Amino acid sequence: MSPGPADPTLRALGRERSRREFVRDMGTFGVFVAVAAAGVDLFVLPDDVLAVKLSAGYLLVDSRKCSGCMTCSAACSIVHHGVVDDSRARIQVEVNPFGAFPDDIRVFQCWQCKDPACVHACPVDALLPDPVTGVRVVDPDRCIGCLSCVLACIRDVSVPCWDDAADAVVKCDLCADTPFWDEEGGIDGSRACERVCPMNAIRFTNELPREITDYAPDLSGPGWKLNGFRDVAR
Amino acid sequence: MSGYAGSILVIDLTAGESSSIPTERYREWGGGHGMGSALFWDLCRDKTVSGFDPGNVVTMMTSPLAGTLAPSASRCEVQGIGVQSSPEWFTRSNFGGRFAAMLKSAGWDGIAVTGAAKHPVWVRIVDDRVEIRDAREDDLWGLDTWDTQTAIWNLEVFKETTGWRAVERGKSGRTTAHSAIVTIGPAGERRSRIASLVHDAGNAASQGGFGGVLGAKNLKAISVIGTGSFRVADPVALLNARLEAKENHFADPDAEAMPTWERFARGPAPDVGFPMPEAVGSRPQACRGCIGSCRARFSDRFGNESSEVETSFYGPVTQAQRDADPDHRTERKAADLAQRFGLDVYELDRGLHYLRRLLVAGVLGRGKQVDIDLPWSEYGSDAFVDRFVRMIAAREGAGDAMAEGFWRAAQAWGRLETDSADGTLEYPYWGVPAHDHDPRAESYWGLGSLLGDRDINEQDFSALTFEPRAAWAEIRPSAIGAREAVAIVAGRLEPYIADESALDFSEANAYSEGVAGVTRWHRHYTRFWKQSALYCDYRFADFHTSLEPGHRGYTPVGEPLFWNAVTGDSLTFEQGLELGRRIWNLDNAIWTLQGRHRDAARFAPYIHRVPLKRDPADPYLVPMRTGGAQWAFRDAAGRTVDERAFEGLKTAFYRLEGWDPASGWPTRATLEALNLGPVADALEKAGRLGGAGSAQ
Repeated sequence: MSPGPADPTLRALGRERSRREFVRDMGTFGVFVAVAAAGVDLFVLPDDVLAVKLSAGYLLVDSRKCSGCMTCSAACSIVHHGVVDDSRARIQVEVNPFGAFPDDIRVFQCWQCKDPACVHACPVDALLPDPVTGVRVVDPDRCIGCLSCVLACIRDVSVPCWDDAADAVVKCDLCADTPFWDEEGGIDGSRACERVCPMNAIRFTNELPREITDYAPDLSGPGWKLNGFRDVAR
Repeated sequence: MSGYAGSILVIDLTAGESSSIPTERYREWGGGHGMGSALFWDLCRDKTVSGFDPGNVVTMMTSPLAGTLAPSASRCEVQGIGVQSSPEWFTRSNFGGRFAAMLKSAGWDGIAVTGAAKHPVWVRIVDDRVEIRDAREDDLWGLDTWDTQTAIWNLEVFKETTGWRAVERGKSGRTTAHSAIVTIGPAGERRSRIASLVHDAGNAASQGGFGGVLGAKNLKAISVIGTGSFRVADPVALLNARLEAKENHFADPDAEAMPTWERFARGPAPDVGFPMPEAVGSRPQACRGCIGSCRARFSDRFGNESSEVETSFYGPVTQAQRDADPDHRTERKAADLAQRFGLDVYELDRGLHYLRRLLVAGVLGRGKQVDIDLPWSEYGSDAFVDRFVRMIAAREGAGDAMAEGFWRAAQAWGRLETDSADGTLEYPYWGVPAHDHDPRAESYWGLGSLLGDRDINEQDFSALTFEPRAAWAEIRPSAIGAREAVAIVAGRLEPYIADESALDFSEANAYSEGVAGVTRWHRHYTRFWKQSALYCDYRFADFHTSLEPGHRGYTPVGEPLFWNAVTGDSLTFEQGLELGRRIWNLDNAIWTLQGRHRDAARFAPYIHRVPLKRDPADPYLVPMRTGGAQWAFRDAAGRTVDERAFEGLKTAFYRLEGWDPASGWPTRATLEALNLGPVADALEKAGRLGGAGSAQ
């Protein structure tokens, strides 16, 4: 028997076909709009599978444009915590200086998964979709520090991370709660990482990425190649 | 203390111990070079020793800006008694990458290395834990710089969960990063005077021969991994400043027309010595916090993180070689060799030029005066440069002389007197190679280097020369024009200069008090804003830009804007210059204790005797006043430096600085006005305090 797809997301999607199809269809026909309007965050499907309201926003990262400057992660910890703290940045940039392009850099942003393992894993409902935006957010007052969400995250580098100061898990909220920034964040505002990236390698969208590859689109403009960069793997 | 980690690590290799100093004690110096000079002053008891002596102290200091959103300021300043120059001076270099930010995340603003280990060691820093380990037992001694780093990563076994490495107890002591390592290569282990320190693939501190200095200390590498945090004073102001910088002062990275000569505005354009390969994948590669990125990483890995002279010191020379290498692998492999073996590329570049001239002159070859066994018939091939670099790093044959630097090699070959007189050896001052500016055309560059410790290699005024040269190459008019370009710079240099005539680069103005003023501004600006705040030389000073209608760049707004947002200071640009003056004075006091006298600050003879060569394909264009208010870019070719007139320029500089013009030594009045009374005491005790300095 051959092993399943390497990516845990694919494995999960393959195993839970009914839920995937339900979520896809709901997204397609806009039924979630009605769900959101009713203020319902979680609901039970007929086959007893718990479904989660979609996020209304997503971060897309073209890691092939990333220069590895880590300004995104510095900005993240600054707007959320007022300090430079790579360990509490909700976007992680993993760099291998001796690696070969494009595998020398991997960027891990929260996917705001349509079927969020972190939400499912939380035993105390401290990690839930925001009732209005659907963004997967942590209620630090309810978090008991079990790290179940950190362990459950499907990305190779878990994007929820522990915050000793808050005594709770923190994760990307699309800058909805940024006490150290004077701009409105969240799905209707700005995202610090997106704004600050000098390479314009991060973009926000309201559209649910259909495939994992949709989270990493080609964001290069017309001048990128003219400036010398080639998207050739060799 | 916002922006600072709080402690400075002192590693005593003789005792095999480490300790810490509160950064607060050195806060008045800002960071970087200022703190490094002050630490060196305090910790190096005998400043007259050789750089190879265990008594030498090497500092590696960060800036409060490192790791923050301050653009292009995450560098690490390295200081100590260098071994490259002749004579050996207290000197500096610095490197970028992510070492400085990681060091602060571990809780350290810098490191001072004292003493020497009895056997090869390396230092492992994990947050506040410091361990001095045996480099032979860990199989690091003998490895090149890249293998050393990967070997250390393999030695550091952390518990990994969900892609994070747990390096501390508790839940938050985690990181996704590899440890940041600065290391020496085989050249440094063999105490080469031209050996560099290398971090990651292509961040090198090469000037000064600090690789050889650490080799003499038996220190192979310093590895640091940090999981902590540090405060910034005004997070809102800091982020908004960065956003404003990106939106108004920086190029669109996807634009079809990328700025080519600008500094801050220049986007992600790798500054490599060849056209970017068509058939090889690549990305821009930046140091921590850089708004631009001047380097690349490639899909075939060759040339990762290298730029500038590293990527141009060697390449194909024949058409057949060029045709066989459309992806410029030879240039990129040569860069990798310099990085891996840990050698200064300016020495390799100027050294190769020198050897080729000796070859043409018929004095180089097997059994000849300069007896070097190199396969010259294969010049331009990978094999030649591989042999060249390895023989220096290993001190094999003639490599033993070349590992001392080409100035000392010329001396060993009995050729220094003739070759430094006729320009065969282009080492204009202190036995170190010229960078890309010549004192015969740019007086301030020569004066700043001679009154300092090394080729300054500070490109702050380069747009005054590089922009018109780029325009010439592209067959277009200058984007700004000489008159406007000079007026913009002159407005930024007040009150150091009276008017824009100081920036007249003509031969008639080369020795004027105005040039002394320009040089003073440059010494003070760079000592603080570039080497203490540690803004990168690629981005600052930013006098000119094509993005603004008035062509006025980000200087002097950008520098204090980020400093104050991070530290909470209310430092003005001018106060930064004044702090730079204080640091510059302390440096001169150290050189004075080392034996500096104005009579020793002299160019190599060829600067006075051999006219600057004319190159019709690349004229040395500089701004000159052509009459009244008329300015133009004119070729400086054909000029020499008048020795007597240059002595007058030195005198003018000393007077303006309040130093003794007879000796060049600092005076008590000047030092005490800078709150450096104890420094004056030390100079007086040594019998080297200046006497009749002019008042500031």
